[in-house]
Amino acid sequence: MEEEEEEVRALLPGGPDEAGRGAPVTPPAPGALPALCDPSRLAHRLLVLLLMCFLGFGSYFCYDNPAALQTQVKRDMQVNTTKFMLLYAWYSWPNVVLCFFGGFLVDRVFGIRWGTIIFSCFVCVGQVVFALGGIFHAFWLMEFGRFVFGIGGESLAVAQNTYAVSWFKGKELNLVFGLQLSMARIGSTVNMNLMGWLYSKVEASLGSAGHTTLGVTLIIGGITCILSLVCALALAYLDQRAERILHKEQGKTGEVIKLTDVKDFSFPLWLIFIICVGYYVAVFPFIGLGKVFFAEKFGFSSQAASAINSIVYVISAPMSPIFGLLVDKTGRNIIWVLCAVVTALASHMMLAFTLWNPWIAMCLLGLSYSLLACALWPMVAFVVPEHQLGTAYGFMQSIQNLGLAVISIIAGMILDTWGYLFLEVFFIACVSFSLLSVVLLYLVNRAQGGNLNYSARQREEIKLSHAE
Amino acid sequence: MRSAVLLLSLLLTAAPFGLLGEETRQVSLKVISDWLDPSQNLLHIQAVGATSTLHYVWSSLGPPAVLLVATNTPSSTLNVNWSLLISSEPDGGIMVLPKESIQFSSALVFTRLFEFDSTNTSDAAAKPPGKSYPPYSLADFSWDNITDSLDPATLSATFRGHPIHDPIGAFASGSLAFRVQAFSRSGRPAQPPRLLHTADTCQLEVDLVGASPRGNHSLFGLEVATLGHGPDCPSVQEQHSIDDEYAPAVFQLDQLLWGSLPSGFMQWRPVAFSQKQGGRESAMPCQASPLYPTLAYLLPQSPIVRAFFGSQNNFCAFNLTFGASTGPGYWDKHYLSWSMLLGVGTPPVDALSSLVLGIVAVVLGAPALMLLAGGVFLLLGHKRYSEYQPIN
Repeated sequence: MEEEEEEVRALLPGGPDEAGRGAPVTPPAPGALPALCDPSRLAHRLLVLLLMCFLGFGSYFCYDNPAALQTQVKRDMQVNTTKFMLLYAWYSWPNVVLCFFGGFLVDRVFGIRWGTIIFSCFVCVGQVVFALGGIFHAFWLMEFGRFVFGIGGESLAVAQNTYAVSWFKGKELNLVFGLQLSMARIGSTVNMNLMGWLYSKVEASLGSAGHTTLGVTLIIGGITCILSLVCALALAYLDQRAERILHKEQGKTGEVIKLTDVKDFSFPLWLIFIICVGYYVAVFPFIGLGKVFFAEKFGFSSQAASAINSIVYVISAPMSPIFGLLVDKTGRNIIWVLCAVVTALASHMMLAFTLWNPWIAMCLLGLSYSLLACALWPMVAFVVPEHQLGTAYGFMQSIQNLGLAVISIIAGMILDTWGYLFLEVFFIACVSFSLLSVVLLYLVNRAQGGNLNYSARQREEIKLSHAE
Repeated sequence: MRSAVLLLSLLLTAAPFGLLGEETRQVSLKVISDWLDPSQNLLHIQAVGATSTLHYVWSSLGPPAVLLVATNTPSSTLNVNWSLLISSEPDGGIMVLPKESIQFSSALVFTRLFEFDSTNTSDAAAKPPGKSYPPYSLADFSWDNITDSLDPATLSATFRGHPIHDPIGAFASGSLAFRVQAFSRSGRPAQPPRLLHTADTCQLEVDLVGASPRGNHSLFGLEVATLGHGPDCPSVQEQHSIDDEYAPAVFQLDQLLWGSLPSGFMQWRPVAFSQKQGGRESAMPCQASPLYPTLAYLLPQSPIVRAFFGSQNNFCAFNLTFGASTGPGYWDKHYLSWSMLLGVGTPPVDALSSLVLGIVAVVLGAPALMLLAGGVFLLLGHKRYSEYQPIN
């Protein structure tokens, strides 16, 4: 998922975006412009910030459209869960490769402005094709739409970050990353809670449920993508205008990807990759399939099931910055990752083996998810030299997307054949695999005298001793 | 709390119950025909255990019905007096001897097939679930000869029927079938909903196939009548479980208990299927109404129930409705299948499969062992780490 990357960048002063050097902002031209239109003034930057936040809104909103409409999609398109989960798999496939090239495309091929517009177009077209698949009752078309949507979605997140760095570097950058993240979560949450209602409204006005209703609902959902495209166009204009007025350069991701670096990756880094894959495949596919689970096992109404299914996103919006601060202040990343993984394990155990109110388990999962993002992703920077950081993150996302694509399909098959209990056991196995890797990482780090589990004070001391 | 109940019921299932609850039984299926009119017949399923015998008598005289009689001797017998049975006063036409060996007896009668038009009903729980078409009375069905469908290998037989008077030809190419299957030992069929059965149970599968519905969005329902023991009607219990391994996404098991345990029970999952494969995409909800007392003359009369229990009985009835206005339905393939178990003793309870338990043990055990081994290793090991320089 793209969010993690943002989180890293938000939390890591030495993250890959740091290399994206916008030219120093020249002093403002003599105040001929009102504050809102003057690129050097805060008011204008806030306007830009608003546009940046809505730039990603569409793709986050539409990413989880299938989860929000799971029953409707399966019923109207007459597909089983395995085929339904292909909608998620098709989103992930292009990103197995694109993770490596998003930065390259932005920097070398399109430039940030055109790159953003093009990726937004992909998102829009993908969503429209996805919806047309519904209207024409062609599931393959829906899959193709998700594929196109996937091409745009993740790369758009890269472009969004680049804009943020270019406009806010050295000013309110961490806050901006935080806000963008929260906006992403809000997009997901609104989607979960809105789409089912929207479907019923469309159903009422069209007179019947069916694939046409589904298609029309998705088209209406696609308006958010158009909104994002408008933001992309406006940003491109403002960015160009700022360049003209302030003589500011186009933003660059500065990511350097060298695939040959992979052979230099250390054992702890591979363990971090495994933790990442094992953990996220037990979260996102679960959310994709969650709505029906809460309805069937716990007797939740459709709205309540949507609400609980989005709670992970809701919690992570405010908790990410808090946990980020906590991890920054305390260090000891491996212990935090261990806590997050154990919490996720406990949460899945509760969902699988008890009939306790699932709000408990889902809130735990939300906390765990926020904590993991803050503790796991920065660890990469401790075990990789800075010039390989881009490759390492690209690789991590690529593996994660590969894992998500494969596990989505497997999860759908398990659900159709053996039911939710078995699916939960499967997710428990995934998290447990992740836990195994955390324990191994701790031991390896201990044995090698690695720096992964240093407290914040130890890190400071080492930094000082290096400086001397 | 819930798991404690589960465990308790597991222990109860495993414990012997005196006369009921046998591991294996000798099961025999026999068609008992009237000498004078061989088209009149009964299906007698006799399940003989070491210390008990179960008699199931299925019949399509009148509406399809079953008598369930449990005795505490391996040598009890069924007596049928045909001339009495087909007379207008059939009392005493069916007897299980010796009478004092009878530990439990009850009956189910499948009286009517309902059809509702579910168009414009968004509320799935509404009762009735839409406009009702005139119901089919199952007493007015003609049934195929049971002898032809008798299969001693699978211990099964099928009553297949269609209405005698069918002016609109709804059943011209369709039928309603009651497939009865007995078991000599416990197990689980491959076909969903995969109810766990024991030697003390017998399974009924109701299939409605190929009949033309009277509307585009017809839902079907079945009226089931039973004997009330005492003044009150038995109740339908809904058991929630964490386990849906055998019926994906169905976390509930419904059962009707005739009295305090161990007595007789009827058990089913609240799910029916609109396709023969019975996958998740064809699963329809099956809603059961509460049992309500009813008067015998309001129901189609079953001669075998009257013959065994006499005329002084309290009847209770309830309705099962298959499907909802949205989702899969009979309209998909003109197919509807629903299964239930009928038996005595404690209803079978699903336990977590050994596969699930095994996987959980391995996946939780591995990190724990790793932690333990690593801890020991680090404790015994060297404090070399200070010799290493950090990477950066």
